[in-house]
Amino acid sequence: MSKTYEYVPEPALVKGNHDFKSITALVTDINLRPTPKAWYIAFGFANILLFVLLFSIGYLIWEGTGIWGLNTPVGWGWAIINFVWWVGIGHAGTLISAILFLFRQNWRTAINRFAEAMTIFAVMCAGIFPAIHVGRIWVIYWVFPIPNQMSMWPNFNSPLLWDVFAVSTYFTVSLLFWYVGLVPDLATIRDRIKSKVGKVVYGIFSLGWRGSNRHWWNYEKSYMILAGLATPLVLSVHTIVSFDFATSVIPGWHTTIFPPYFVAGAVFSGFAMVLSLMIICRKVYKLEEIMTIDHIEKMNIILMITGTMVGFAYLMEFFIAWYSGVEYEKAIFILRATGPYAWAYWIMITCNVISPQFFWSKKLRRNVAFTFVISIVVNIGMWFERFVITVSSLSTDFLPGSWGYYSPTIWDVATYVGTFGLFFTFFLLFLRFLPMVAVAEIKGILPQADPHNYDEETGEYEPKKIQVPEPLRENV
Amino acid sequence: MSQIFPKWADEAPKRILIGVIIFLNAAIFGVWYFFSPEFTDVGYAPEQPVPFSHQVHAGQLGMDCQYCHTQVTESRYANIPATQTCMNCHNQILTDSENLEPIRDSWETGEPIEWVRVHMLPDFAYFNHAAHVSVGVGCESCHGRIDRMEVVQQAEPLSMGWCLDCHREPEKHVRPVEEVTTMGYTEENQLEVGLDLVAKHNINAPTYCQSCHY
Amino acid sequence: MSDQPKQTTYWKSLNELAQNKEYEKFVQREFPEDATELTDQVSRRSFLRVMGASIALAGFASCRKPVQKIMPYSRQPEDMVQGVPLFYATSMPFQDTVTGLVVENNDGRPTKLEGNNEHPSSGGGTNIYNQGAILNLYDPDRSHSPKRNGENVSLSDFISFSAEHFSNRDQRVLFISEATSSPTQNRLKQQALRTFTNAEWVTYEPFSENNAVEGTQLAFGQRLRTVNHYGQADVIVALDDDFVSPHRHQNSVENAYRVSANRKVTSVDDTMSRIYSIENNFTATGSYADHRLRLKTSEIEGFTYALASRLSESVNGLSAYNGIENEFSDHEWVNTLAEDLLSNRGSSVVSIGKEYKPAAQAAVAAINLALGNNGNTVTYHELPYRENRDENQAFSDAVREMQNGAVDTVVLIGTNPVFTAPADLNFAEALENTGTKVHLSDYFDETSRNCDWHVNHAHFLEMWGDGLSYTGQRSVIQPQILPLYDGLSEIEFINTIITGEESTGYDLVRETWQSYYPSDFDSQWERILHDGIEPDSGFGDVNVSLAADFDSAIQPELSYEPVSGIEITIKPDSTLFDGRFANNGWLQELPDPMTKISWDNVAMMSPKTAESLGINPERSFSSREVPVVRISGGNSTIEIAAWVLPGHADDSITLTTGYGRRNIGRIADGVGVDTYPLRTTSAMLYQPGEVSTTGQSYDIACVQDHHSLEGRDMIRSASLEGYKEHPDFATYKNVHGYEVPGMEEAREEGNEHGPISLFTETYGSYDDQPQWGMSIDLNSCFGCGVCTIACQAENNIPVIGKREVSRRRIMHWIRIDRYFEGDEDNPGAYHQPVPCMHCELAPCEQVCPVAATTHSEDGVNQMTYNRCIGTRYCQNNCPFKVRRFNFFNYSKEFVATGDDPEIIQMAMNPDVTVRFRGVIEKCTYCAQRLNRGKINAKIATGSRKPVDGAVQTACQQACPSNAITFGDITDQDSVISQDKRNERSYVLLEEMNVRPRTSYMAKIRNSNPELVSPPDLPSH
Repeated sequence: MSKTYEYVPEPALVKGNHDFKSITALVTDINLRPTPKAWYIAFGFANILLFVLLFSIGYLIWEGTGIWGLNTPVGWGWAIINFVWWVGIGHAGTLISAILFLFRQNWRTAINRFAEAMTIFAVMCAGIFPAIHVGRIWVIYWVFPIPNQMSMWPNFNSPLLWDVFAVSTYFTVSLLFWYVGLVPDLATIRDRIKSKVGKVVYGIFSLGWRGSNRHWWNYEKSYMILAGLATPLVLSVHTIVSFDFATSVIPGWHTTIFPPYFVAGAVFSGFAMVLSLMIICRKVYKLEEIMTIDHIEKMNIILMITGTMVGFAYLMEFFIAWYSGVEYEKAIFILRATGPYAWAYWIMITCNVISPQFFWSKKLRRNVAFTFVISIVVNIGMWFERFVITVSSLSTDFLPGSWGYYSPTIWDVATYVGTFGLFFTFFLLFLRFLPMVAVAEIKGILPQADPHNYDEETGEYEPKKIQVPEPLRENV
Repeated sequence: MSQIFPKWADEAPKRILIGVIIFLNAAIFGVWYFFSPEFTDVGYAPEQPVPFSHQVHAGQLGMDCQYCHTQVTESRYANIPATQTCMNCHNQILTDSENLEPIRDSWETGEPIEWVRVHMLPDFAYFNHAAHVSVGVGCESCHGRIDRMEVVQQAEPLSMGWCLDCHREPEKHVRPVEEVTTMGYTEENQLEVGLDLVAKHNINAPTYCQSCHY
Repeated sequence: MSDQPKQTTYWKSLNELAQNKEYEKFVQREFPEDATELTDQVSRRSFLRVMGASIALAGFASCRKPVQKIMPYSRQPEDMVQGVPLFYATSMPFQDTVTGLVVENNDGRPTKLEGNNEHPSSGGGTNIYNQGAILNLYDPDRSHSPKRNGENVSLSDFISFSAEHFSNRDQRVLFISEATSSPTQNRLKQQALRTFTNAEWVTYEPFSENNAVEGTQLAFGQRLRTVNHYGQADVIVALDDDFVSPHRHQNSVENAYRVSANRKVTSVDDTMSRIYSIENNFTATGSYADHRLRLKTSEIEGFTYALASRLSESVNGLSAYNGIENEFSDHEWVNTLAEDLLSNRGSSVVSIGKEYKPAAQAAVAAINLALGNNGNTVTYHELPYRENRDENQAFSDAVREMQNGAVDTVVLIGTNPVFTAPADLNFAEALENTGTKVHLSDYFDETSRNCDWHVNHAHFLEMWGDGLSYTGQRSVIQPQILPLYDGLSEIEFINTIITGEESTGYDLVRETWQSYYPSDFDSQWERILHDGIEPDSGFGDVNVSLAADFDSAIQPELSYEPVSGIEITIKPDSTLFDGRFANNGWLQELPDPMTKISWDNVAMMSPKTAESLGINPERSFSSREVPVVRISGGNSTIEIAAWVLPGHADDSITLTTGYGRRNIGRIADGVGVDTYPLRTTSAMLYQPGEVSTTGQSYDIACVQDHHSLEGRDMIRSASLEGYKEHPDFATYKNVHGYEVPGMEEAREEGNEHGPISLFTETYGSYDDQPQWGMSIDLNSCFGCGVCTIACQAENNIPVIGKREVSRRRIMHWIRIDRYFEGDEDNPGAYHQPVPCMHCELAPCEQVCPVAATTHSEDGVNQMTYNRCIGTRYCQNNCPFKVRRFNFFNYSKEFVATGDDPEIIQMAMNPDVTVRFRGVIEKCTYCAQRLNRGKINAKIATGSRKPVDGAVQTACQQACPSNAITFGDITDQDSVISQDKRNERSYVLLEEMNVRPRTSYMAKIRNSNPELVSPPDLPSH
């Protein structure tokens, strides 16, 4: 039998007929034009939340951990949940920039810059919680291996200690990675900005970038190396976070599936968060031509896949609990679905497993509004996943006599909400003062950047008409 | 277009980076070394209500430590002697020295003398004099050459690390029990003798937390 | 050694100010709340905010050390070695008995009470009141000085007053005293009655032995004390006789250690007694019993007669009951009990709660007589100090006389009738109609407020005195410390009233005792002071026989009518008793043995009754709120939280007394509901009542939210027969049907110690150090909670208040889990004390980031507070959830804030660090005792291992039934090693291979095949 194939060209990554100049203008003008009123309003709002955070932390340190809802069976509550949640979100950025970079996924260039920014701010939010949740924050430096007169070292067996190293390393590398990527664009702004102060400031941070061949060569190399460094970290950091639970003995925590399951979940929530932010930004800043509907679709596919992976993990947990034959494991999972925290469990299932399945439909994949809703839903779901894991296991573990219910106080909530203040304060500053799209990289994927699109003799730019290869016309 | 930065600015980032690294390490080391009790506590010699001189009593007069610190072998505390003890002699000797005025007052009124504490362990560290003295840890080992002190001062850091130095290698420090109160005790082949003593007294200086913290 | 400069409170101070102001206002108002109003005690934590400036709270070493002063004695007291505790014997008076105690004194202040092995009433054990007493001594709310019409006056004022006022010897003086067995007080009483020609002396106790004594009067024509020797009985029938609980039986400690000794099973050859308990609410005895029958309080009497009548068919002496027919006549229990009793004549005990009416008491007495138990398991004794009359009657008459204004002066000695007297007597009003009113009491309490004179009472640890144990051994009470507030003892008080002069208790007591030792008194006296007791003293047995006219006399009394509808039973509270312990933080916070509620009293009812009232019998796991019910009986009504207690009798509601105190102190005030208004002379124990829901709800601080074992194997039990068939029924293999995972592999590797493990075993070598271990015999535990209090006293564990407890942050290092299993209407109850297991492969140790919890060379899981940064990871990873976190600065609120902190601080154990905010704490096996033991052994013998028994943990020492054994498991002959070798010995969560050092011994019930008994566990 025979079939007729038709050649469908790869859609252009940047819509509209942009050239280098227009791209530069499109992106950097955002930073150069005077600050819009809307930005101030948003910033003010973010600052209020930030104040809420600072106040509740202050009060916490003043009064003691008791202001939270923690109790004796449940020693970890919202603080640790938020920590894991924020770290999870902090995955997308580096994943997009590093891993997709190594895989030469050119579409990443449109979103990597602020995905990375988001990562960094998310990790900052995450980092707060392990620090403030301890009872005596003033001696928290004991977790660092610093020589001291007690001749005491920290306990290197403790996953919490690994956390300290994992998260701080991840943060440092992500920050560097982001910054290195920024250098050429900072230089661009330096050159375009009018004000003297601006010139100096951007000048300092662009490290005297002149775009010379040598610069580009160094830049590409260091970027590649950092990408290589960052890639394992993306996987390691949440793996280690999952060890906090996996290495313990508590039913529902003590599971080997946690590392991959947590990483999948992290990517899941990370992409969701990127989507939420991106959908707003591209609208507000009119960047639809760079962050195209195709990007959204690609990301939705990732959401769908990771969401399904997470769903699979949930199933496996049940299977293993039954298969292991450990009565406490069995009990905890039955209790999760039917016990005092069933409500949380079913919220989690709906948001994380059911909602992404809509993306099997191409129509919904390409529906911006719908995507936005789902991306929010997914983040809610992922928060509840951490809630279910952390709280339900602790509240009903081995000895029924020690079981107890946990419910948060106003201060748990305030601290969590406050971290959004921190996040958005930084994010808004980023949007205002830094190019939210990697200009240099975008230029790299324009047709104009392709030497074949230039006439050998004249050197005139003439993009090739697509030559459809002959054989394909025949019937195969 | 014009230069924004002078030439030297090219070197700046490198220099700053190196500077920061050096500074951080210096800071950590500095805190660790100079903020340790060895520097903060050693040499603490507060003024006492009565200018009691160990140099005279323990040194020149050669009184044994236990003449005054009687309960050191039976109690956690090496007790500060009761006024009574002072009066044993000082109702004959120097009965009218105004240095001893507080002593006589205390004796008449029954009010205690407020000595200022020199060797302060934190309250969560439980040190037991009896346990140490009875197996041959010399007073000197922790309190220094008391017999040479006009005013008592802290001779050793009394830090946890310092305790552990001895607890990990007691043989380097123990002495025959009868030599405990001796000042300036030396033993040329200490290690040998030490090992014998450790065996003899069945010493195992505990290094686990709860031997001192509970 | 004092710390100065006083670094006063941090953030608290502002709060405190507010708090104090509030508190001030609160006490200004005469009666802040309506008696029955339920006040939500938001921030009960404030109760102790009102205390203190500061002590050096170890754990927060501030960066600059404060200058410390050392103040040596001016004159060195003899036998006083600073840092070495001294122990003196004394006794604690409680109603008309005393318990022999040994008091630990540190630097001249008593810090801990232990039982006196020489003293039969203690046998080395104690009860929660004994342990709690130390906190009462240092209670800053005790009355600080005498008061005239509420105004502070000096003691001399009172002396001159009494000299003047009591010079009139002919006035009508009424003395009302608490029950006491003190020979000296009795001597002074006689003297007073001689001195005041027109005087009357009555004793009043809200929960007295009076009915029991009246019972013997009915049965034998003599007023006697019935002593049941539960320890010698093979069959015990306890008719609502909670004889192991201090709030129901004055001699609980002796009962506990004797009866548990008779039920210790070390091998299949051992036998144990059989206990039947018939009761309306679940009591400790009921949970300990082999069989339990739930009956309404009003039916117990009928059951007794039915039993008597059944027995009368087979034995002589019960003709009075012959042919009695009631609903219990063919009850299976009556038949079974009758059989069992008959086959154990002379070695059985039938006993009934002392609150039941004389006729019932008489029936029981007759039964014991008929069964030939008298002289063997039951003895009768004359009480030298007791009037030969019905004391309750006498009291009522006296109060009526007061009402009529016929009394010139009333002298109240220690009792608090305004609060506790039957409502219908209306004692407060009676006081108003009385001329002069003088009151001696610990607190400026309800009664004091209605008196002209209040004299502050000295605590028994501050005073000279004496008393007789339950079985009559003369015991001495000697002061451990000078009165903190210059209080007077009863005897000094009475003597002052008689003579109008000040006098010392010492002289008074010696004067009394001189009569016992005519020759060389002083040496005898020395001996008594040392031992605390005269061993060769005691009540003589009285041979009794049924009163001649018994049959005829008893007939009218036998008319018995159970309450048809809902009955209301009022009993003393398990922790506050009649209210005298209401201001004791330890006891307030100690959960009730059966309900596990702290800081409140509730209306206990069965699930069925609850349903009939429209209350959901299932308790919500996620909410602390319980519905409030309105209960009316007689002509008063109260509103109180309803509590569903499985195993409670249907159509019966049990209330407890002692709560709802007003203006007593920071702890007692406003906690719970005063139930005395329901109690009248006609209804001292039970009465019919109306119950309805109010629609309101109330927060209850219950420390255990889940009551079922979920089929898990934490508790393992079997019937005695079952045990004899399968002695190793409690091993993991027999419980689960398979070996502990990893055990076989380990054997192949030649390791018998435990399953294969990833971790290297972190505890020290067996040769050069003792290896500590603990074993808890569930067969001896009835959940009284004295271990918890003893631990709290020994280890400076703070009281945290209702709000914090209800947030599930209770700090107790040893908690007692109570499980209900079986038929939910009539389940079996199982108690399991849970201290730290001191796992050899402890999960907590692996996860602490700063190595604050580690393993010691002597195999103890150590918690180093001053290293802890408070991640709570260890707490999460503890499978037993025994670790406690200082969520707030509990210790500081407990001992270091408010007006006179030094007082409460004196109760602290100087050998134990006071924990600061933000650190984890937990059972240490009493590390301070371990170290003291090791150091002493080392100094004395040079050996690194103390001899067996030289080191006791606080819980072990306090336990009246010796359920806890502790010691060195490397010593093969030690008691602990034997217990661990016992086939009943098992550890929790063995499959996790954490290798707990604390093990349990399976429970055994000597069940009667004729009856259904609580299920054997684990029941899958």
